Order: sequence, then C-alpha cells, then structure tokens
Amino acid sequence: MPRLLAVFELPQQVVDAVTQLRGRGYLDLETYSPAPFAEVEDAVIEKPSRVRLYTLVGGLTGVVTGYALTLWMANDWQIMVGGKPFSSIPPYTIIAFELTILFGGLLTALGLAVHARLYPRKLDGAYSARFSAEDFGVAVSCQERDVAEIDDLLRAHGAKEVSLLDG
Amino acid sequence: MTPPPAEAVAALIRPAPQPPDSPVNRDLLAPLEGVSLGYFALLAITMAFVGAAAAVWITQVYLGLGIAGYKHPVFWGAYIVTFVFWVGIAHAGTLISAILYLFRAKWRNAINRSAEAMTVIAVITAMQFLGIHVGRIWKSYFILPYPNQRALWVNFKSPLLWDTFAISTYGTISAVFLLVGLIPDFAIARDRARSWRKLLYTVLAAGWQGTARQWKAHNRTTLHLSGLATPLVLSVHSVVSWDFAMSIVPGWHATIFAPYFVAGAIFSGFAMVLTVMIPVRRVFGLERYITAYHFENMSRFLLLTSLIVGYAYLSEYFMAWYSGVETEQSAFWLRAFGPYWMSTWVMILCNAVAPQILWFKKARTSVPTLFVLSVIINIGMWFERYVIIIGGLSREYNPAVWGIYTPSYAELTIVAGSFAFFAMNFLILLKLIPMVAIAEMKEISIHERAHGEGH
Repeated sequence: MPRLLAVFELPQQVVDAVTQLRGRGYLDLETYSPAPFAEVEDAVIEKPSRVRLYTLVGGLTGVVTGYALTLWMANDWQIMVGGKPFSSIPPYTIIAFELTILFGGLLTALGLAVHARLYPRKLDGAYSARFSAEDFGVAVSCQERDVAEIDDLLRAHGAKEVSLLDG
Repeated sequence: MTPPPAEAVAALIRPAPQPPDSPVNRDLLAPLEGVSLGYFALLAITMAFVGAAAAVWITQVYLGLGIAGYKHPVFWGAYIVTFVFWVGIAHAGTLISAILYLFRAKWRNAINRSAEAMTVIAVITAMQFLGIHVGRIWKSYFILPYPNQRALWVNFKSPLLWDTFAISTYGTISAVFLLVGLIPDFAIARDRARSWRKLLYTVLAAGWQGTARQWKAHNRTTLHLSGLATPLVLSVHSVVSWDFAMSIVPGWHATIFAPYFVAGAIFSGFAMVLTVMIPVRRVFGLERYITAYHFENMSRFLLLTSLIVGYAYLSEYFMAWYSGVETEQSAFWLRAFGPYWMSTWVMILCNAVAPQILWFKKARTSVPTLFVLSVIINIGMWFERYVIIIGGLSREYNPAVWGIYTPSYAELTIVAGSFAFFAMNFLILLKLIPMVAIAEMKEISIHERAHGEGH
C-alpha cells in the first residue's frame, strides 16, 4: 500500500488534516511533532495513555510493600521497648510513603518505555531530522487509487510538501 | 525545439535542499560542541580538588574519624552540615520541574533542565557524605534491610533509616525525571550529531521520533512523575529535619523543623541555580532563552522563601523564650552570643536580611546583583546548618560535657572537594546534555509562530 508523507508548519493544520483523514476512514496514519501539542495527539488518539495504569499499580505495590516490609521485619526480630507493641505504624508510614513514590515513579517510567516503544529499533522510514527541527509530519497509508485525493486533501490543509514514500 | 539548458536539467535531478535547521536547536545544541581551553582548565581544577578530597578520605578510612575532629560531644560535624546543605541544594530542580509544572508556570521551561541536572548531581554529592561520615565505610550497607547471616533487621523507627529511604528515593526519582525530560532532546541531538556522539544519543534517545503516541505517553509520564515528586520534594527535607527534630537535643527538638527545612532547601536550591546558571548563560550566549523575566520570577521565590526562613529563625527564638525551658533558653542565648555567635549572625544576615533587597525591581532584574546575592545566600545556608548542628551538639544539657568544635583540615578539604565534585559533574554534563529543554522551548516558539508574536 502506498504511504504519503506531508510536511506542515503549524499544529492546527495537522489537527485539521488528521481529523479529515480519520473521518474518511484512513486510520493507518502517524504524526511526527517537534514538541508536545495536546491537540495534535488527541486528534490521532482519543484515549488517554495507558501509562496512568502503571503509576497506579506501582504506587499500590509500593504502599503494600512498605507496610509489609516494616511490619514483617519488626515482628521477625522483635525489639522490646518499654512493653510497647512491636509494630509501630506511624514511622512505618514514612517508609510506605517513600516506596509508593519510588515504585510508582519507576513503573511510570517503564510504562513510558513500553507505550512510547522506547527500546532499540529502527526509526520509521517517514521520519527525518526535519521533524526534530520545527516541521510537523503526517504519514498516511492509502490505496493506489486514492493517492491523488489524499494529496489534494493534505495540500488543501496547508501541507508545504507531500511526497510518496517507497514501499 | 532546442533542448533545455544543462543547468536546468541538473536542477531538476538535484535533491531538494535541506530546510534550514531550527534556530532553537542551533542555539541550544551549540554549548555541546567543542571545548575551550578555559573549560579544560576549570575541569582540571575541579578534578584536582576532588582528587585531594579523595586522598584525604582514604587517609581517614585508614586512620579513623579522629582526623576529622570528631570528639566528644560533637560527633556530627562539617560532614553532616555539608550533607544537609547538598540535600537542600537538590530541592530546586524537582520543585521547578514538578510543582511548577503542575501549576503550569511556563517560565520554568528555561531553567528546569539545568535545575534538574543540579538536583541529580547534588543528591549524589550529598549521598557520598553519608559514606564519608560513617567511620567504618565497609559496614555502611548494614543500613539496608536485606536477609543476612546475623538474622536481624534494621530499625524502622529510626529517622536515620527514614533518611536512607527518602534520599535514595529522591535520587532515583530525580534521575528518572531528568532522563524522561531528556529523551526528546536526545533525539534532536541524535539527528544532528556525528561520530561517537551520534551513537551515544541514538542509544539514549531510544527510538524517539515524536509520534502522537510517544508524546501522549510522555506527557502522561511527566504529569504523573510531577504528581509523585511534589509530595516527595516536600517530604525529603522534612525527613532530613527529623534526623534532628526527633532527638531531644535543645535547639533541635522543634516541630517547626520540617517546614523550616523545606523552605530553607528551596531557598538555597534557587540560589544555587542562579549561581550556576548566570555564568553559563553568559558564556554560552543564552540570553535569549533565560531572560530578565525568569530572573525576576526566581527572585520572587528567593524573597518568599527568605521570609519564611527569617520567620522560622524568629519563631525559634520566641518558642525558646516562651517555653520557659531553661535548656532551650540557654541553647538559643548561646547560639547568638556564645562561641558560635559569628556563624549565627552570618546566617541571619545572609539568609534573612540580605535578600530583602529583592523587594526592589531593580535588584530583581539586575543580573550581577543576583549573582552576588545568590553566593551570599549559599554561604548563609551552609552556616545555617552549621549553627543548628554544631551549636546544638556542643551545648547540650549538662555544662560539664560542653565542648568546642572546629572543623579540621580533613573536613575542610572534603567539604571543598564536594563543591569541586558538584562543579566537575556539572561541567561534564554541560557537554553531554542540552542545559535548556529544547523541545519545551520549541513548544513556545511554535506557539508564537501560530498565533503571532507576543501571544
């Protein structure tokens, strides 16, 4: 299937083009932005990122680990101080708090790595250094017969260049 | 029909010229390129100091903490003072990245990267003091809870253990924060670098190409890390303050310690950001990115935290007097008029009085004034910890066990070495990572382009 790459200058143009393309059923598309623009990201993917689940799981694991670790250790090696209970919840809350943050933070970073696919791999064929300068890119796959139509659509939304990618 | 001229045919075949690179990329990646003689000289000086400190430390491991002037009644000396100082410095970075991010304070964009880098370096510097301060370094891992042959566990009721957890969590999360923010900038550097740098940034950028999915995950990560780091920033120096406040030493045993320490930490952290970034901005010509607007906002933070710190100084004295506890009263009397009077007055003048100049707009926007003031504040904040720690320990309940402590040559060398270590690492990072967040600056520049200047 041919893949077209359009280059835009402004985020709003990308939003309009992507909305149009998706409305017409061209769902195999990808954008490249030099900086975060929420409107562009929302135009491509409506759902919030799954990364938030990682934070929740990490944080819960942390708080459970924090209390479990301290309570178990205090009762495994009991230190009798003035007849007071071995388990002392208020100071253990500090440990549980720190581990909540630690596990939550680390798992969030793992979530980023998984969902942003940050691991050794080849960059997309459509990607080029101009998208880490100031240009925005929209790459879209379509049927051979639709190339001209998509080309028109992209240019109508202000694409300064449209090219056909190999493969 | 005549054939078209050869030049026209060549123009058709020739690939289209590459569009010019973004000026933001060019300006902010420039500091990474090339090294001057001055840079090498500075690096060599800092390395020499670090080397000297390392030599002293090895001697101390061999001979014992006696050479550090640790003797009854002061067993927490300049090492712990400097530890608390560096943990304090580490507070600006995460405050700027996390709390100001949640408040959507856009002015943080120009300074957050350098402050985050300073945070990570300062935490590493501070952590070393825990190792330097314990006499038997080879047993320092006893503080960690792990199954061992001795079949015993650590005491989670001890503030020192809370500190272990707080500082290591803070160090880890700060490093994660710095790295997550750097990924898009690493990709920018990857697309432009050559030779070994290209390889380095390719690995570090980890396949970043700024797709919608990537930015979405990245934004969510930054948001959640900020949410997690906000209570963390406030808790870390609270926990450090409890190292003191949980004891019953006069002058330490105060409930005000946690907010007092947190405000002091933010105060000193911002001062250090100014001390470091003013020369960097000048040398690398970043005046376009770090402007009077940023300095003014940082000055306001300094003024606010200075007022909180000044209020804490006053209320400490008030509580000592109002409590009617004789030991508290004499501890605070001796603080101001006893053997350590000079440190106390340095602390008050540098931290509570000098920053009042920031009420004037002229001072807030004058870069040389801010530079001098930030150095004064750094000195004052080191002395604040000196006053609290040494002043407290040397004058406890029984006058028969009072003593005088003066830092030894060993301690002073290691303290100087810590400043050199901080500077050395910052100099190295200066050549490896962009010190202003490029993608975030671009967000602003593209926004301006879309909506016209001055939006």
